[in-house]
Amino acid sequence: MKVAVFWGCRILTNQYAYEMSVREVFPRFDAELVDLSETNCCGDPVKSVNDLAANYLAARVLALANKTGLQDLLLPCNRCHFVISEAKNVLEKNEGVGGKIVGLLREEGLEYNPSVKVWHVIDFLHDVVGLKNVKEAVQKPLKGLKLATHVGCQIIRYSDLGRVDDAENPRRLDELVGVLGAESVDYAEKLDCCGANLMQSHPDSALSLAGTKLNAVQNLGVDGLVVSCPDCGLMFDFKQKDAGTTVGAKLNVPVVYYTQLLGLALNIEKEKLGLHLNQTPVDQLLMKILP
Amino acid sequence: MPKIGVYVCHCGLNIAGVVDVENVTEYAKSLPDVAIARSYIYMCSEPGQRMIQEDIKTHNLDRIVIATCSPRMHEETFRKTVTEAGLNPYLLEIVNLREHVSWAHSDNPKKATEKAKALVRMGVARARLLEPLEKRKVSVKKNVLVVGGGIAGIQASLDLANAGFKVFLVEKAPSIGGRMAQLDKTFPTLDCSACILTPKMVDVAKHSNVKLLTNSEVTEVKGFVGNYEVSIVKKPRYVDEKKCVGCELCTKVCPVKVPDEFNEGLSQTRAISIYSPYAVPKVATINPKHCLRLRFNKNVCGKCVEACTAKAIKFKQQPKTIRVKVGGIIIAVGSEVFNASKMSEFGYGRYKNVISNIEFERILNASGPTGGKILSTRNGESPKTVVFVQCVGSRDKRFHEYCCRVGCMATLKQAILVREKLGEDVKIYVCFNDMRAFGKGYDEFYRRARDLDVNFVAGLPSDIRSDVHGALYFDVYDRGTNKLLEIRPDLVVLANGLVPNAGIEKIGVLFHVSRSADGFLLEAHPKLRPLESVMAGIFLAGACQGPKDIPDTVAQASGAAAKVIDLLASGEIELEPLKAVVDEDLCSGCRLCESVCPFLAIEMKSENVEGAERLRAEVVEAMCQGCGLCVSACPTKAIKMCHYTDGQVLAQVQAGCLESGARGGS
Amino acid sequence: MSLTDLMSMAKPNMESREKILSKLGGGELVNCFQCLKCTSGCTALKLLELKPHEIVKLVNLGFVDELALSDIIWTCVTCLKCVQRCPQKASPYHVIMALRNLAVEREARVPEGYLKAVSRILEIGLAEAIQEVVTRRMEIFNRESLKLPKIVYPKESFQAAFMKILEEK
Repeated sequence: MKVAVFWGCRILTNQYAYEMSVREVFPRFDAELVDLSETNCCGDPVKSVNDLAANYLAARVLALANKTGLQDLLLPCNRCHFVISEAKNVLEKNEGVGGKIVGLLREEGLEYNPSVKVWHVIDFLHDVVGLKNVKEAVQKPLKGLKLATHVGCQIIRYSDLGRVDDAENPRRLDELVGVLGAESVDYAEKLDCCGANLMQSHPDSALSLAGTKLNAVQNLGVDGLVVSCPDCGLMFDFKQKDAGTTVGAKLNVPVVYYTQLLGLALNIEKEKLGLHLNQTPVDQLLMKILP
Repeated sequence: MPKIGVYVCHCGLNIAGVVDVENVTEYAKSLPDVAIARSYIYMCSEPGQRMIQEDIKTHNLDRIVIATCSPRMHEETFRKTVTEAGLNPYLLEIVNLREHVSWAHSDNPKKATEKAKALVRMGVARARLLEPLEKRKVSVKKNVLVVGGGIAGIQASLDLANAGFKVFLVEKAPSIGGRMAQLDKTFPTLDCSACILTPKMVDVAKHSNVKLLTNSEVTEVKGFVGNYEVSIVKKPRYVDEKKCVGCELCTKVCPVKVPDEFNEGLSQTRAISIYSPYAVPKVATINPKHCLRLRFNKNVCGKCVEACTAKAIKFKQQPKTIRVKVGGIIIAVGSEVFNASKMSEFGYGRYKNVISNIEFERILNASGPTGGKILSTRNGESPKTVVFVQCVGSRDKRFHEYCCRVGCMATLKQAILVREKLGEDVKIYVCFNDMRAFGKGYDEFYRRARDLDVNFVAGLPSDIRSDVHGALYFDVYDRGTNKLLEIRPDLVVLANGLVPNAGIEKIGVLFHVSRSADGFLLEAHPKLRPLESVMAGIFLAGACQGPKDIPDTVAQASGAAAKVIDLLASGEIELEPLKAVVDEDLCSGCRLCESVCPFLAIEMKSENVEGAERLRAEVVEAMCQGCGLCVSACPTKAIKMCHYTDGQVLAQVQAGCLESGARGGS
Repeated sequence: MSLTDLMSMAKPNMESREKILSKLGGGELVNCFQCLKCTSGCTALKLLELKPHEIVKLVNLGFVDELALSDIIWTCVTCLKCVQRCPQKASPYHVIMALRNLAVEREARVPEGYLKAVSRILEIGLAEAIQEVVTRRMEIFNRESLKLPKIVYPKESFQAAFMKILEEK
């Protein structure tokens, strides 16, 4: 099947490993990714500035997806997924706002279509591709690997919007890890936020939040942390060193995107999955699974 | 030619302060067929009533119109007034000049007076066409069905039985006692629950006027108020009730372990067991889902048969259907406790030391799974820190919006008992939103808890966590100190709310009783008729109508019993003649009326007409509530509503549409 | 006005409160009954002293103006736990977002990251600038060297539309 994909801003500008790994694994499940062109930011930072403008940006992404003629839109970034889901809700419930935005889009020759369905990497793989098919595609089971998952905040909250997984007991990412042959470990801090949103205004606090969580994960004795959002990836992987400094801990937790892990299980070369770009010592993790 | 008397009441200044009552009275005099029109300051007073009665005699009046306050206030009074003067009470029309005129339009007296005149004109138009009607008497059975053997059902049954009524008390479980039997102590007196309950349980079981049917369920309800026909299924216990002596030897030898329902699954009992330590009747019951012989239908095991010296085990026992005829029904099926695993953030179901209030109640009880000892499951010692979290599943738009009414008091009780059992060393915290201690002795009880150093944290936690060693911890912000407190409890007790039974929908359908938005059974009027359901003859008692504590339950149960006594005591009931009536000649048997009637008050009777079978609708007077849906649905105008005929209503409409200056014809 | 905060001598501003109520993208602010679940679980409480329940109460009473000028409204991490767990659906997150919008409207102190993002979106459609990545082996990569597709920026029609909606009242 063909799926439109919108990467947002962070993936396109610095979280390349996520983009690379998604582009590698999706075709293996017969999901052909169709990039949107001339895209704009989903509106996430604009929500704090002008909610109407933010909803317009989100709606524009959906309109661009509609332009491709496809009814499914993949959003690998948690924040894009939330912003666009909320915008869909607002346009449905608020005729005034909806009217303004739809009209403005039409001036550009774009048509907003509310029936475009939004997906995240997790629910697409879990529900559309299906756990069974993921399991069957595994060529190199990641036996013996013990991992902690971090599903993030904005794809599980708030339930009323209809999210990717249960807000209090999200299991999809853990199950996706499980079918690869690895073990996902439960832990008390599982639902805690990475703090990314504070980086631009309160960087110390942001790093403190990330560091506290990484410290807890480290204490579990797991082989690595699995994420699936570029913001979480940025905090836990790129900024792990700074986070450690902030909380006064020596952090040594390999952090990988789920799609990178999946790629490994599908026997795809690590360079194609961007594993050389991860800032944390993923070699430790790789040593456990590669011969 | 009707002779109408019109009486305009001043109602002190209530009406006269806005409406020009003299003007209205003069206007009434000018209407056709009005023989006399008067006004008086308080028409409902004795002189006012006598005035009407004398006029009826003197002027031979045969229709009365009283322009006064709402008929809900005094229509019954005035009906008696005219009856005493020899006039049929349904030849009376009340016109509402207070709620509909003076109270609604107090800012515009001129227009109010015009409206009053129009309403009087309409009242007179209807009065012309009123017909005399008779209340019908229907004989009733002096038997009562009480559904549910908790404290509500027990109390109601005792009151009814003592008043000389025969009661069928049906209980689903193998024993009566319900929720109250599970409690340790009761607030605010700390009475031992079983000690105050068991005497009542024994009384009701022994009462000559009570037929106790445990392990039974109601399966069908037919009929109408005063004359219900109910089918009850007595499920098999596989034990002869008359032979079993309650020695429990069978339980000791049974090899199959089963979670003990009475102990909320905290301990295990056997496939054959007596329901609880205070079971009434004290007879063993075999659980067919777990008993090896019954489950696999094979001649296996049989250890209980060997052990039973009274030879009471009867594997071949079958369900028995009993049909009874009763005049009234009291539904007292109680409620359940909220399942907190729905609020996963608190870890109920995941962490062993996060328990529910009802589970804790069993733990506190000396006859419970721990013999009354409070132990933390982590290390087997008694907890050093116990936390209660309030409003779990209640006052929450995600689960149940209502306040459960008993959560605060139950927690206070449990907190005090923890202090009593574990002494000074245990730290007790109650995390609350509001502390609701509203009843008699309740706030004093709250103070008692504070006196015992129970700490009240004004704030609710967002979640409860467990660290790698299984120790619980959570953060909670306290309004009083403005501090974020981290608490590390050994035991967390969740104050889960009371919720409607899982089977409440079935009960509603079975008895044709509606439910309110919160899921509990709906009362006829929340303030003035809290004990009656919307079905005549069916009453509500206890937590099935809404969560409540024991004092309120007992009061409601006795109240419901009194209502039943009131209904059935004379042996007959009077039915208001405000009913639908079918003109058989016009009825085509289309069944539209039957399909729209919300009260099951229309029956189709088949009769042989000229060799062909024809259906005709017939109104079951006792069930008919006079709502009029059938009248408007009938395509052939075969149904008319007594006292609200099409003619009467249309005459009012016509009169209402005329100019106020006009006189209104006949 | 009948109410005064004696600590600051501030009086409620019901017009500002109305503005927040109309901006709210969700939540039933007026229904908050101060159960404190939101604050108990707030990610930003320990480090930055953000108390969502306090913000909701202040807005409800009308003490909006001071909040719009404050720094505290910029400490929210947007983890959405308060929206998820509030038993009255009062949604402090949405209230904070509305306060932020009001702060921008009133040209109060806004963390520059947000304004930078807006201007960058106007310029290139994206909120962030393209970066080069330095690996742990000190190699440098960019989109091109990683063989990732080139980004095509949106045209002027987008810029015009975005400007238009930003200026919309």
